[in-house]
Amino acid sequence: MRSLKEFTEILRYRELLRNLIERDIKKRYKRSALGFLWVMLDPLLMMLIFYLVFAGLFRNVVGNYIAYVISGIVMWQLFAQGTKVASTAFLQNRNLISKINLPTAIFPVAIVGSSVAHFLFSLIPLFIIILFSGTTPSYYMPLLPVVVILIIVFSIGVSLTISMLTVFFHDVLYIYEVILVGWMYLSAIFYPVSILPRQLQTLMSINPLYHYISLFRACIYDTTLPLMEHLVFGTAFALVSFALGWTIYIRNRDKIIFYI
Amino acid sequence: MIHLENVSVTYRLIRERRSTFQAHIINYLKGKRVEIETLRALQGVSLDVSRGESLGIIGHNGAGKSTLLKVISGVIKPVEGTIQVEGRIAPLIELTAGFDPELTGRENIYLNASILGFSRREIDRKCDRIIDFSELQEFIDSPLKNYSSGMVSRLGFSIATEVDPDILIIDEVLAVGDASFKRKSMERIREFRNNGITILFVSHNMEEIGFLCGTVVWLDHGSIKMIGEPGMVIQSYDSQQVGCPL
Repeated sequence: MRSLKEFTEILRYRELLRNLIERDIKKRYKRSALGFLWVMLDPLLMMLIFYLVFAGLFRNVVGNYIAYVISGIVMWQLFAQGTKVASTAFLQNRNLISKINLPTAIFPVAIVGSSVAHFLFSLIPLFIIILFSGTTPSYYMPLLPVVVILIIVFSIGVSLTISMLTVFFHDVLYIYEVILVGWMYLSAIFYPVSILPRQLQTLMSINPLYHYISLFRACIYDTTLPLMEHLVFGTAFALVSFALGWTIYIRNRDKIIFYI
Repeated sequence: MIHLENVSVTYRLIRERRSTFQAHIINYLKGKRVEIETLRALQGVSLDVSRGESLGIIGHNGAGKSTLLKVISGVIKPVEGTIQVEGRIAPLIELTAGFDPELTGRENIYLNASILGFSRREIDRKCDRIIDFSELQEFIDSPLKNYSSGMVSRLGFSIATEVDPDILIIDEVLAVGDASFKRKSMERIREFRNNGITILFVSHNMEEIGFLCGTVVWLDHGSIKMIGEPGMVIQSYDSQQVGCPL
């Protein structure tokens, strides 16, 4: 009941959501000389680094290393950037939260939203690279929106959880940063899963990001991946994450103001 | 319109602000428990404000005036008591809380009006009126960081009063802009009152309170000490203040 009320409130404030996302994008690129180009340069440069460092190692194991790495990076950034910035969402907006009555969840959700906007921009260099490297796009491509929605739902759940915990324990911020670094290395972004020992390989199935990245790769170029399996896991993780984040948010929403 | 029954609000004052795990664990091992002192910001406040009434709220610092406004606008949920509020509330509390210095005046109008819950279409419709009232036509497309503080407040006031509220909440904000803009804002608030909009007004300026309000509440340490006709309440409040060294 309260849940539903809060949800309709957020919908009522969708104009604010849009303005917050717009503001974030405008502010981030207004001052830099290359402006929006940075959105595209960022994943390209990262890919270049990974390529220079690891291509020699993994080129023979991974069929299409360029496509493998860039799709991994782009998908990882969507999740990591969004949830990392969102972890301070309530603290950053204490000024508004303590003065005006609005559905507070809008702040972390908006941050995930601007991360999604960046992701959409970075699809441009991704497709350019895919095409120039002579890769055939996957026939699963139409499933791409579904995959993106799944990772958005998952990210919102994580953001709500982390941002709420941060209100009560500031340490969570730093802990989460460390977790993200470890998580990145465990998500098979620049190495193939096949180089891991067998036990670790099976453990990969409890890493949500591994499923989202694999789904993304399946939609972009790699049709050999077990799409169905990843889809089932990806959906389950998204639902669990969202249910957890939302419950924590609803239960503690009214306390935020006394702690920030 | 606004109905408060026996409303209490407590703030937690943690003696030693402890919000890291480390501190929690160390103190737990030492056998210390978090000492929480609570502060009753409001205590058993009952209040009825009917449509079109203008209510002034006075009291010393920390008497609970702002807390009362926050409870009514829904920012704080009370620990006890019930609240019923009908109608759209426009909070004129710190007008500039939602502004972003990097954005232009116009972009800030959209941002700030959406914070108050407006749709894009509604803002499109009001935008010109807001700019007109603020008298900032020349600067509206420059970033807010280039504005003087008076200009920022003028923009804030113009947005908050252009929203056609049912209830207007004003917390010490009339000191905005220069004398002529101040006169203009006072005029606008009076217009609101004459149009039957409910006004809640917190101020230390007894002259403004007397000028605007039909009823005055005197809050003291979180409870209502006196409520009634402005002249009488202000007089008793002033006479108590005389005792205090200034």
